[in-house]
Amino acid sequence: MESVPPRGSGWVRSLVYRLVCKLRIHPLPRGGTDCFQVRLLMLMLSVLFLTQLGNSQTQPTGVLRLKVKLKIGESTKSLARKRFYLLKGTLEQNKAVIDAAEQNPYISRDCFYSKLGASQQLIDWLKAGDCESVYCREIEEEFVNGPKAVPEFVTAYAAGEREFGQSNIGRKWLTNNLPPPLRDGFYRDRRNALDALLKQAEMVSGVHPLSTMTDRNGTAYFTDLEPGSYVLTSLLPIEVGESLDTWNCKVQIKPGDIATETPYQVSNKENRLVKCVAVEKPIPVCQK
Amino acid sequence: MTPMTSRQQKVLATLCVAVVAFLNMGSQRQSSRTRPAPAPVDYSKFSHSTKKHQAACDTCHKIPTPRWQQTSTYPDIKDYPGHDACVSCHRTQFFKGARPVICSVCHVKTSPRDEARLPFRNPGVKLEFTIEFTHDRHQDVIALLNFRGSRASLTAILGAQASPPPASFPATLELDTGRRGRLRSQDSDLAAHARRRSDDKLPTYNNCEICHSQRAVPPPPAAGWADGFQPKPETFKSIPSGHDSCFNCHWKSQQPVATNCAGCHKLAPSTFTSVTAPTRISLKFMHEGGGAKQNHVADCASCHINITKSASVRGLKPDVPITACSECHAKTGVREDLNQELAAIDKNKAFVCTYCHTSNVGSLDPPASHYLITQRPPLQRKDIK
Repeated sequence: MESVPPRGSGWVRSLVYRLVCKLRIHPLPRGGTDCFQVRLLMLMLSVLFLTQLGNSQTQPTGVLRLKVKLKIGESTKSLARKRFYLLKGTLEQNKAVIDAAEQNPYISRDCFYSKLGASQQLIDWLKAGDCESVYCREIEEEFVNGPKAVPEFVTAYAAGEREFGQSNIGRKWLTNNLPPPLRDGFYRDRRNALDALLKQAEMVSGVHPLSTMTDRNGTAYFTDLEPGSYVLTSLLPIEVGESLDTWNCKVQIKPGDIATETPYQVSNKENRLVKCVAVEKPIPVCQK
Repeated sequence: MTPMTSRQQKVLATLCVAVVAFLNMGSQRQSSRTRPAPAPVDYSKFSHSTKKHQAACDTCHKIPTPRWQQTSTYPDIKDYPGHDACVSCHRTQFFKGARPVICSVCHVKTSPRDEARLPFRNPGVKLEFTIEFTHDRHQDVIALLNFRGSRASLTAILGAQASPPPASFPATLELDTGRRGRLRSQDSDLAAHARRRSDDKLPTYNNCEICHSQRAVPPPPAAGWADGFQPKPETFKSIPSGHDSCFNCHWKSQQPVATNCAGCHKLAPSTFTSVTAPTRISLKFMHEGGGAKQNHVADCASCHINITKSASVRGLKPDVPITACSECHAKTGVREDLNQELAAIDKNKAFVCTYCHTSNVGSLDPPASHYLITQRPPLQRKDIK
């Protein structure tokens, strides 16, 4: 039987505690109520919580520093501004995602816009800047007026000028008057495919995949990584010269690995320093 | 005591229910009597969190503001909604007395003869909305600076009026931006030409600079700049503060479009004041600095290593690791700024690092990363004798 404080002693039991006791307890054979188990349970929970807290505070994380260099013909160059993904788990665990990515039909940028009926001038304009969409470069005056004008830009510019009554806004806001598929259709198509793959990867590992983009030097970082196995992947192929390159490589992150001195080398050709080599395929012929 | 009959039990149960219901009713009545009267509404303050103010944005805000040409250089929302937006519900407050208090939400003076309105938005009023921005998606669509192409396409990009490239210009070229953002080529003449041409007319790629360019020095923190050190404009980069950065692509058809305010603006749980004073660890660093060669002018992602992985701007931090600095500032025999200051702490634990930091930061224990990168064991000042 629980001890009850004398009336008027000023001692009041916690309501929460009493509630917990009442919810859990069963009558003991001798007629009393046993709150000991609740106390024990609370004590165990506290210990567990503190242990977890301690672990989360002391668990050292790792860093993965990528260096992506490509060999095209005789020259070597850094792969700039390309996104890489890090999936939690091993290659085997992520096999379904990698297989799904490989099943994805690839269509080159030129082919995509050509099929949409884009003018050759627009295709060239995108190609000249290695752009997936019209957003990657400013549309300068010479591409709106004059011999180098891109027909789609001319039409959109005229519509903007009518709408805003000002030529400079018509040009600067030109993309607002471009048909959506020609504006960013290629980028959007890739984005949709990537989103589906990332969702699948998240379902496989239970963790949202991380991503990073290479800088001009082909360097990129993944930071604050929990130690363990990962898959470094480009998910979708990347056009490199005349071929399509896809990377899917295992990566082991060790606790406290800050990787300041030893970048994880990624390339399209094998080399003793390269840890992740691309699978290369020719760019499919455009079926118009 | 004789046991109760089932009839007696039913009567007793009914009585109990009636008593409980009566007591409950009484307590409800009492609580309604004691409930404090609602606070009078302050009609001088407008809040979007009021339920009835949460209709579609264009119910009140006209997009763009009529006659935007008079107040803006581009179609924008630059003025308060018209009287109709308020009168439809607040007719009573609108015509209350000679100086209705509700007018002060938008107007400088509450007078029928003075139309002057407060600036829109009013900087004196706390912010109600946060911004949703997919930082990574925007980075994905901006330019690839690695330029590959033919002589013809380079000329096309540099412009027809540009001087022709030198005769040594190869038919197919590899021209990319070097480690520090400078154009580089196998052919030095070609690189020099490209650099010279870039001074004249550089094709404008939409990189980070379309949103983050050099800005004026922001107002100092409340306590002033540490050590009275006055930073230069070259230190800071701007962040978009108006609709022009968005509407150039999102005016219509590309979602979220201008009329879809909620696509970017989310009502915050409570009002807040935006922080204008920047928090800097290395106040002496200048983005446009790095000596005569401006070595700091680099690809932003080269130093801000976590920027490209951020899906939103919430909790976005600059995150520049010491490795970004040590490449030049801790190079044995070349520049040893970091090493020298760490060595100075070894000799004098009160030494204040001043090369990058002001004393509020420079007097703290250097982080372990600073020691590791210079191959020294991490130390704390208190452990130095």
